[in-house]
Amino acid sequence: MFPPRPLFCCLSLLLVVGGLPAPAHAAVKAKGLLRINTTTQTYNVAQPWELNQPQRRRGLGAILEDGNILTTGEMAANSTYIEFESADGAHTVPAEVIAIDYEANLALLAPEKGANREWIDKLGTLGINGPAKIDDKVNIWQLEDNGDAIRTEGTVRSVDLLSTFASGHYFLCYEVKASMQSASSSYTLPVTRDGKLLGILASYNSKDQISDVVAPDILKRFLEDIRDGRHEGFPSLGIATVLTEDPQFRKWLGLGDEQGGLYVSRVLPGSGADESGLKKGDVLLTVNGHSIDRRGYYEDPTYGRLVWSHLVRGSGQVGDKLALLIMRDGKEQQLEAVLQRPPDHLIPSHMYDKAPPYLIKGGLVFQELNRPYLEAFGKEWRSRAPLDLLDALNNPEDYEEGRKRLVFLSRVIRTPATIGYDQVNNLIVTEANGQKVTDMKSLAAALTNPKNGLHSIRIDDIPYVIYLDPEASDLVDKALLKRGLPALQRLP
Amino acid sequence: MNKLLLFGSSVALLHPLALAQNPEETGNRNTDIYKSVVRIESATQVADYRTPWNSGRFGGGTGSGFMIGPNQFLTNAHVVSNANRVLITRRGSAKKHAARVVHIAHDCDLALLEVEDDAPFEGLHYLNFGEVPALESQVRVIGYPVGGDRISVTRGVVSRIDFRPYSHSRVDSHLVVQIDAAINPGNSGGPVLQDGKVVGVAFQGLRQADNTGYMIPTPVIQRFLRDIGDGRYDKYVDLGITEFALFNPAMRKALQVPENGLGVMVASVLPTGPCDGVMEPGDVLLSIDNNPVDNAGNIEVEGEKVVLHEVVERKFAGDNVKLEFLRRGEKKDVTVTLKAFPHSRIYAVRYGDRPRFVFFAGLVFQPLDFNLYSAYGFDSPRVRKIFQNYVRDAIFKEREDVVVLTRVESDRLTSFITGFNGTVVDEINGTRVKDLRHAHELLYAADQPEFITIKCNGVARPIVIPSTEVESANKRIMQQNGIFRSHYLGDSQPKS
Repeated sequence: MFPPRPLFCCLSLLLVVGGLPAPAHAAVKAKGLLRINTTTQTYNVAQPWELNQPQRRRGLGAILEDGNILTTGEMAANSTYIEFESADGAHTVPAEVIAIDYEANLALLAPEKGANREWIDKLGTLGINGPAKIDDKVNIWQLEDNGDAIRTEGTVRSVDLLSTFASGHYFLCYEVKASMQSASSSYTLPVTRDGKLLGILASYNSKDQISDVVAPDILKRFLEDIRDGRHEGFPSLGIATVLTEDPQFRKWLGLGDEQGGLYVSRVLPGSGADESGLKKGDVLLTVNGHSIDRRGYYEDPTYGRLVWSHLVRGSGQVGDKLALLIMRDGKEQQLEAVLQRPPDHLIPSHMYDKAPPYLIKGGLVFQELNRPYLEAFGKEWRSRAPLDLLDALNNPEDYEEGRKRLVFLSRVIRTPATIGYDQVNNLIVTEANGQKVTDMKSLAAALTNPKNGLHSIRIDDIPYVIYLDPEASDLVDKALLKRGLPALQRLP
Repeated sequence: MNKLLLFGSSVALLHPLALAQNPEETGNRNTDIYKSVVRIESATQVADYRTPWNSGRFGGGTGSGFMIGPNQFLTNAHVVSNANRVLITRRGSAKKHAARVVHIAHDCDLALLEVEDDAPFEGLHYLNFGEVPALESQVRVIGYPVGGDRISVTRGVVSRIDFRPYSHSRVDSHLVVQIDAAINPGNSGGPVLQDGKVVGVAFQGLRQADNTGYMIPTPVIQRFLRDIGDGRYDKYVDLGITEFALFNPAMRKALQVPENGLGVMVASVLPTGPCDGVMEPGDVLLSIDNNPVDNAGNIEVEGEKVVLHEVVERKFAGDNVKLEFLRRGEKKDVTVTLKAFPHSRIYAVRYGDRPRFVFFAGLVFQPLDFNLYSAYGFDSPRVRKIFQNYVRDAIFKEREDVVVLTRVESDRLTSFITGFNGTVVDEINGTRVKDLRHAHELLYAADQPEFITIKCNGVARPIVIPSTEVESANKRIMQQNGIFRSHYLGDSQPKS
């Protein structure tokens, strides 16, 4: 939604098992704190019918006044098992996810229904604190192996919108300077001020000693959202914008020297912005009366200069109205947008807790393109991933027409039905048996209906058409099932 | 004719130059041969595509060459590429004779030189050509490699005969003979001999292996000499199709190929190529010049399997090729006329070209080709995709040049023009850009609107330059950055 900013992004905290010996000190009394142990499993990108090896991680949760436990979304995403553990390890109880928000990086958990939670109720609770200011002193909590709490004092250095988990989603965070040590259970840490919960630490950069803490404003929005038992998620306006610092560009747009403004470079079809009448080429001047400057900042009454998108993502709920003042063709114009969840993307940016759809026919493996598939090409994925698929990720508008998802032939398993196709991989599928392929379901439907005794699948590069013998491929499919493939397809 | 295609058996007949009269063989034959192998020194100037207005890098190198006729010296193209000055030295002489490049063929790494004054070379032995040497037979490599000033002779055994890429242009593959004698810098262009006859020109080695050298065998040399027979090098021609092996039974059934039937599938046809409008994807190519094509796209020539394109290898622009193919079960016979396909040279390394560019208000525009691509290492998938598909998708029909905004020079006018480097220019003032000359016309048109807008592919906003600022900005930025000319659009002739 706005240009990526430099993040001190050591992706997550050091995952240290075993911790360091505790220094000789009187134990600090911790309140409303417990350990969370999770086991997570992701799907194998190359063989989407399989799960990867499970990973274990330990973190901390904050017990809220209603008895539920707040932690980061990262802690709970892709989990197959979660349990709570007391600081001393004497008690454990299986937990379940009430709601998880991958974008804001928050999750609310509770002990499984009917489980014994008496020990949790004795640990005390944490209310949520109001906003912090720059230079406020805060406490970051860790637990030692022996059950002692460690309290590290830190200072709020700055307030900014950061993406701490799902890429491309920016939310209000505090950047806290504190020198922390490695300890067990260090994945996710509650941050308090005056004995109340101020935020959840999402990442720590040990080199700069800066941690990113999800701000209480976002915590509160998240909890408000799920109060009715339904998690809708944070709203979005659905536009991409460009800064208007360039004086020549400003003159061309007809912007005065005193004005700010953001150039709207893309309006997502079906978004709140789209429905409000906002168009590409408009200049966004104010949002709910707040003037947006040429770099996209507004003056927040609490925090000072903040990126404008906080007015949408961090301040409103789905269904709220947003007043927009825009400039179009040199004239100012008032629009009203209703905040919505962002429209479905052609290429999903994440697949947390989702099983990727796939389909196997005779050894051809089809998938729906998502960003994690491309990211699996390694650190240099932006240059190493298949070019056509990368281009689709970068320019989805060129591929959206007539498609809900981008189906591609990810690889070819060598079978009697796929002789001669061994080298074919990562090609975008356009048609199957004469039917346009708009998503995995449409491909599955088309493949039930071979034409002239053959399946034909049209792809966007050599050999352009792949033919399969229906009988031979059915035999292969049966054999694949016998040899350990759980299912030939997983439709969304 | 077909028998000559690969392992040409009577090559001398094809070669007008080789028939030139040889001086009588007297005395030591080896000494005569050594005398005809010369040392070639070239002074080069290699263009810098990152600063196209600059002179580039001056340098030089040495190689070998040999006399094949009166005032005719054969060597590698890469020995004399980008050369401003070429000097030839005879064995045992200190005199450097000024020479010039008569013909240069970058697609097969060969060049023909002549000296300004050939009197000192009169009476030298002209080397004759032999055939492709047999596997395991012994050959001699003669030349002036690094490690000393005098002539060097090494012996080796022919260890492989294969089609391999010629690294000079990066994109061309022809017949190559591998020998187990090392070919070192300086050897390039020198003759490889067997029984007193030239069987190849030493031209490249293998970086990761010692004692492996490659030579250009006589069929490729003969083709070059024949091509220049009319005084002009016309380059290799291409059939303009891509094949896909027909192994899959369902694919064979779909294309109505009989069981055990021959033929390879045509996967794509090069737009505007010789087969455009004649063949279409999904056709099954059955034979080429009466050579049956197998399912992998190979033909058999004198007991050896070679790719079907080898038929075209030996041919010239204007020659015909007979094709037999299957379309929806129906057999068709056609004859196509071969022609050069200049657009595919976008992927070849270019030599001796002065880089074209346009400078405009701090922005530098250059046409995309391999040299530019490797100079900048573009990482935008959009540019990579356009480059990759330039020929396949016939992008050249719409835009002869893919014009790239390569640089934004620092200036008060350009401080906020960020994120545009390395993007393809789509439109200037709303007009789609066809080539660099067109871009220049649009940018420097006499009657400009108040704002000149430049739209780049995949960038969210246009670049805007007020037309009143262009002249002063050009003057200021060119002076600041030592850019002494605003453009070079190439010679008036279209690029070849």
